[in-house]
Amino acid sequence: MIWKRQIPILIVTVVGWTTLLGWFIDQPTIQEFVNDDATQWFDILASFAIILGALNLIKLQVQKILYQKPGWIYSVVAVMGFLFAITAGFFVKGVDDSVAQWGAHVTTDGTLFKWMFDYMFSPMSATMFSLLAFFVASASYRAFRIRNFEATLLLVSGIIIMCGRVPIGSVISSWFVLYLIVLSAGIYINVWKKDMKTTFVFVAVGISIITIAGFMYGWPIDKPGIFYLPAIQEWIYYYPNVAGARSIMIGIGLGIFATSIRYILGIERSYIGE
Amino acid sequence: MSKIQNTFLKIGSIDRRWIFLIIAAVVIVPLLIPVGLPIRPTDTTKNVYDSIEKLPVGSKVLLSVEYSPSTRPENHPMTISILRHLFKNDHKVFITCLWPDGQFMAQDAINQVAKQEFNKTYGIVYVFLGFRPGNEAVVKDIVSNLRKLYTVDVYQKKIDEIPLMKGINNFKDFDFLFSSSAGFPGTIEWVQYASDPTGIPMASGVTSIKVNEVMPYVQAGQMVGVLAGMPGAAEYEALINQKGSATSGMDAQSVAHLVIVLFIILGNVSFFIERNRSKKY
Amino acid sequence: MGHPYLFEDRIVMLITMFLMGSTLMYNVRYAQMGGEFYLRPIPGLKAVEEAVGRSTEMGRPILYVPGIQDMDQVETVAGVIVLGHVAKMTARYETSLNVPVSRSIVMKAAREACRESYMIEGRPDMFNEDMVHYLTDDQFAYAAGVNGIMVREKPAACMYMGKFYAESLILAETGNSIGAIQIAGTASQAQIPFFVTACDYTLIGEEFFAASAYLSKKPELIGGVRGQDMIKVAVIVTIIFSIIIMTLYDNTGIGFDVSKLLTIR
Repeated sequence: MIWKRQIPILIVTVVGWTTLLGWFIDQPTIQEFVNDDATQWFDILASFAIILGALNLIKLQVQKILYQKPGWIYSVVAVMGFLFAITAGFFVKGVDDSVAQWGAHVTTDGTLFKWMFDYMFSPMSATMFSLLAFFVASASYRAFRIRNFEATLLLVSGIIIMCGRVPIGSVISSWFVLYLIVLSAGIYINVWKKDMKTTFVFVAVGISIITIAGFMYGWPIDKPGIFYLPAIQEWIYYYPNVAGARSIMIGIGLGIFATSIRYILGIERSYIGE
Repeated sequence: MSKIQNTFLKIGSIDRRWIFLIIAAVVIVPLLIPVGLPIRPTDTTKNVYDSIEKLPVGSKVLLSVEYSPSTRPENHPMTISILRHLFKNDHKVFITCLWPDGQFMAQDAINQVAKQEFNKTYGIVYVFLGFRPGNEAVVKDIVSNLRKLYTVDVYQKKIDEIPLMKGINNFKDFDFLFSSSAGFPGTIEWVQYASDPTGIPMASGVTSIKVNEVMPYVQAGQMVGVLAGMPGAAEYEALINQKGSATSGMDAQSVAHLVIVLFIILGNVSFFIERNRSKKY
Repeated sequence: MGHPYLFEDRIVMLITMFLMGSTLMYNVRYAQMGGEFYLRPIPGLKAVEEAVGRSTEMGRPILYVPGIQDMDQVETVAGVIVLGHVAKMTARYETSLNVPVSRSIVMKAAREACRESYMIEGRPDMFNEDMVHYLTDDQFAYAAGVNGIMVREKPAACMYMGKFYAESLILAETGNSIGAIQIAGTASQAQIPFFVTACDYTLIGEEFFAASAYLSKKPELIGGVRGQDMIKVAVIVTIIFSIIIMTLYDNTGIGFDVSKLLTIR
């Protein structure tokens, strides 16, 4: 029982406090432990632990194949991929020692490993990432609804950022944005007052003022700057966005501090079970 | 009127596979038939460009590559453009990687820019140090003692035998850092453990998703600027007057964004119609 | 100044750290001695038990994803702790639990957490080591693997608790497409918007770290949450005072340069 409970808690406490206080102590051995050794110990542990994971993976996939569970064909592909990668990494270089040594062979052109990376791993990785383009579209379409004030704010700022961030935003004139604002305000007034006459007058006056102003100033695409999408987008990025990001960062930082203190003081022990 | 409303309602409950198909079409078509929209550099990109322009000739620049093939369309054009800019201005470039995949990406960039375009001599103008495991510990080691971490370069050649590495012992021996980063470890680790404590200026190129996290550091002056995603890469290509894959991707991204905005508007129209109908009944 | 082994420019941080730690400890002790604190209800945590119940009724498994980073990240440890609580519920309701992981050490830790939970609930027979299984270290290969599990096994509830990167939306959208109830918790700032958009409930930042306190209802953990809130108030007050002092100093020269005092190198 002591090995499963007291000793792990002692290790966490000792190493945790040493690493935490080590940042303040100007002593070469402690600094080396904090900056190098502690992280390297973890990396070495994680590197050996990967064998456990790999064995678990192979065990489950082989079981699926042997018992012909549903989807066992995919397990055949998984096992073959695993064996191919091991072969390319450790056994078959594909080139002479004069072209690439073991170790350097992973990035040298012409080796089996590089071929696998360029023609199998890279395309599959890029394909999975490219799914995000489709999922962002479907998620935005489903989720961005004007349910309340905050949702409206989110929607409007999202549209401004999406349009302002790309080149097409810089060809959308600020006068067009002004017209859109007048039309949107007209819709709101119509919903509020439910009076067509008031709405018509408001929209007509608004459009007239903007048109006259446009002719007076010669329709510059980026003036007035306050309605130019790239300018609004930059303002949103630099001010509200950074303010929100900073506050979330501070909150998360405090959360990490409090959680870590609980671990190294031994208050929270659930990570090794109750 | 109710026919129009019913049409909007149908659009509001469209199967998402139609959305996927439309997105695929609006991304593919501009890639095949480029529109050539003008690219307007933002301040954050201009600051990165100006910082590198102001570096004295022969400055030692550390370029850190930490992204994988999945974010290649965003990060790789940045790395290529930065390398072009650095070689054009005759700076010395030291390339390191915090991600194992970054080593492959860096090698591709070196092959394209250093070898094919500029024909620069390895070991005299640039050196490729490669990947070392350890996440932020690698950054700390580069700051304290680079030679302890890198005894050989990526080609297994001893560091002591590379002329360019003479006098390079730690991070303070560099004049500038650029990190082309897609996540952890990356930009934030470089700011926290290297650039801010030592005062060596740094800039970064990050994916669009990471810009939010990195912007506080830019605003606080801990970074001179940031290349924000593929638009940032396209802006930098415009600044160095050499168009690349980021510029050609911007047409597709522009149209795709507009289509997504259109979908959102249509979805909201349908939402309002449905809400009004349910209020009536 | 008489402290040869201490970094002088980090003393402010050391004092701050002790003050913050003391605040936490005070609240923990107060809670342990019977003090009661109010915690506002977090819908996402209430929904965890509902999700487990829903899965039991539908006879479908629960999918739990503890993030894609290793145990050196605090979020992953928090995710494993929440997994322990979820495992207790699945043991109680006799629902099957599927936990695909991305790191081998996380696999071992998660297994131990699940094993302990099932034993505490008196159902060691229901525990199976293979319910926590390793997929791959690679980010998108892992996302592909988890998506495959979702599409084939169609879990009734999907929980994402830990550190995530770009794969978060891929997982959440796929979970949405199979009609699962989704609860996410992460402190990965960039991924919070994606989870908020695609999931039914999201624990944002500190709510995720407080999840363990909410689910276990242990006084020492609840005291820690209150201590955290008190530290946050102190930080806000410090920011406001610093703004006033810096504004005075920059414009009139009165006061001192607060940024020099508060900047830690």
